[in-house]
Amino acid sequence: MGAESYILLLGYIFGFYMAWNIGANDVANSMASAVGAKAITIRQAIFIAGILNIVGATFIGTHVTNTIRKGIVSTDILADPNLALIGALSALLSAALWVSFATWKSLPVSTTHSIVGAMIGFGIVAGGFSMINWGKLGAVVLSWVISPVFSMVIGFSMFKIIVKTILIKKDSYIRALQLSPFFIGIAVFVIILSFLFKTPLGKKLSIGTPSALIIAGILAGVLGYAGMKALRRFVKKPKTSGEEDIFRKIQIGTSCYVALAQGANDVANAIGPLAVIYFIVKTGGVGAKVPVPVFLLLFGGVGIACGIGMAGHRVMGTIGRKITTLNNTRGFSVDFAAATTVLLASKMGLPVSTTHAAVGGVMGVGLARGIEAVNFRIIFQIMLYWILTVPASAITSIILFKILQLFV
Amino acid sequence: MRIPFISMFVTSPFEGLEEHAQKLEECAMVFQQAMECYISDDCERFEEFRLQIDRIEDEADAIKRRIRGHLPKGTLLQFDKFELFRYLGEQDNVLDAMEESLDWISIRSDLGIPQALVKDIKILVDAITNAIEELSRMVAEARKYFKTYSEDQRDHVKKIVHSLRRQEHDADKLEDNIKQKVFDTVSDPVTVFHLVRMAEIIGKIADHAENAGDMMRAMIAK
Repeated sequence: MGAESYILLLGYIFGFYMAWNIGANDVANSMASAVGAKAITIRQAIFIAGILNIVGATFIGTHVTNTIRKGIVSTDILADPNLALIGALSALLSAALWVSFATWKSLPVSTTHSIVGAMIGFGIVAGGFSMINWGKLGAVVLSWVISPVFSMVIGFSMFKIIVKTILIKKDSYIRALQLSPFFIGIAVFVIILSFLFKTPLGKKLSIGTPSALIIAGILAGVLGYAGMKALRRFVKKPKTSGEEDIFRKIQIGTSCYVALAQGANDVANAIGPLAVIYFIVKTGGVGAKVPVPVFLLLFGGVGIACGIGMAGHRVMGTIGRKITTLNNTRGFSVDFAAATTVLLASKMGLPVSTTHAAVGGVMGVGLARGIEAVNFRIIFQIMLYWILTVPASAITSIILFKILQLFV
Repeated sequence: MRIPFISMFVTSPFEGLEEHAQKLEECAMVFQQAMECYISDDCERFEEFRLQIDRIEDEADAIKRRIRGHLPKGTLLQFDKFELFRYLGEQDNVLDAMEESLDWISIRSDLGIPQALVKDIKILVDAITNAIEELSRMVAEARKYFKTYSEDQRDHVKKIVHSLRRQEHDADKLEDNIKQKVFDTVSDPVTVFHLVRMAEIIGKIADHAENAGDMMRAMIAK
């Protein structure tokens, strides 16, 4: 076995470790509102998150991988396979180290920002500052600001719609039931569209935009209607606040939605650099456009699922204890906002943080006066660590690159 | 591990508010017992009841401080933070007024009251304790409103506020009635002063309950 095979092996190990960290850290974001609002149990949350992260990573996840790999750091840097190999490896390791450090020290960092910072570090050390596509980086940084705001707006509007159309009304239970196809339908609509566009499977079907919209619309209508039928069967009308019971059931669906979006978005953080290593080792170089093989995405998804399975209990336990003021209509709004933001961003090829999307969703519902008490100062803390994360993982990546260069 | 998502959720001030309201109810029960003891012929436990109310007041104060101290800057509530503090202050005044009445009575508690006033004071005390129970119910119902935003629930809270207003009005009339009777039946000026002031302080309990109700009305305003 040559040196390159060893490097590939190391890449798999670090990539898996990074994916594991993502699962352990970020599962809180996707499942927190559902667990906090008691829509699903901890065990169910881990199961749903594990399975759907794999599905989301494998079937929806490819597009983002490209951007992290080629968008911010110029492709010129990949011309020298040796350099690219060391770079990808050090980026992967430094991001994983930084995330582990953050977990240990209880810092609210984003795994997405860690890997982007690490890739920048590699770009700078290997080719100088000119290797960084600052325009592209600016767009990515902007997306980090926009994504929580976008999620906030969706969360706000969603909760306001629920208040105006259901909660305020006399027969809120009946209203909730009547409108359930709408709420289920839009979630289905977004999922199907993101599946049809830009996924390998969706491309094979080669469906044009208008027909994709029609298909998504029809499926959303059918599934929404079926969902209502199921709700009618399974939710018994209680004496008070039956609308919460309906949203409790719908939230099982939205937590699946979030897990799917999370898998699609976050898998790239671990698999992006691994894909570079894989191609250099297998083909001797990286072309301008190389699709990420599905098995690598699956590998990443499994890594995330392992992280969720092994560390999920501890995180979820904390959530169950700490979040007591969230009920199902709020939880649904938060879930919907976070997942839609992440899925849309992921489809646009922007590496956004699921953490920030989830936080944005809570803020939106809070601003709509849906939550008894929300601490908005967390946003400043997040911003501080966001500003720290990128240079910290970039510098770690540079140091690791220099060290690895001595050996290879 | 510090997860940003979790750090966003602050303990609801309503939890403390409900707890504080429960202290009010607890206090009202002791207050009623103390007053019944006071107007009976041989009262031995009055001082015991008074001290019990002192203790409850201390506990309620601790709850009040906890609510005020545990809302970090940057916390968004469903109403203005200072609206909440003002409401809490008024709810606390209800308790303070109960304590003050017993303190005032204790200065001359062994002298008892003229037989002619017994029935009227009983009615006044009943009116006060009813108002406090209503107030405590209002807090729970208001919390329910903020959870559901249902218009029915809002009407329900508004009705309680109305009823608090009416109860205050009734208590006022009872208070006037007692004062009139004091002047009619008692000739010793010191006793007149003691009894009139007592009726006024007890009447104040209902005033504070009404104020608290009005503040809650402002909090649930759309």
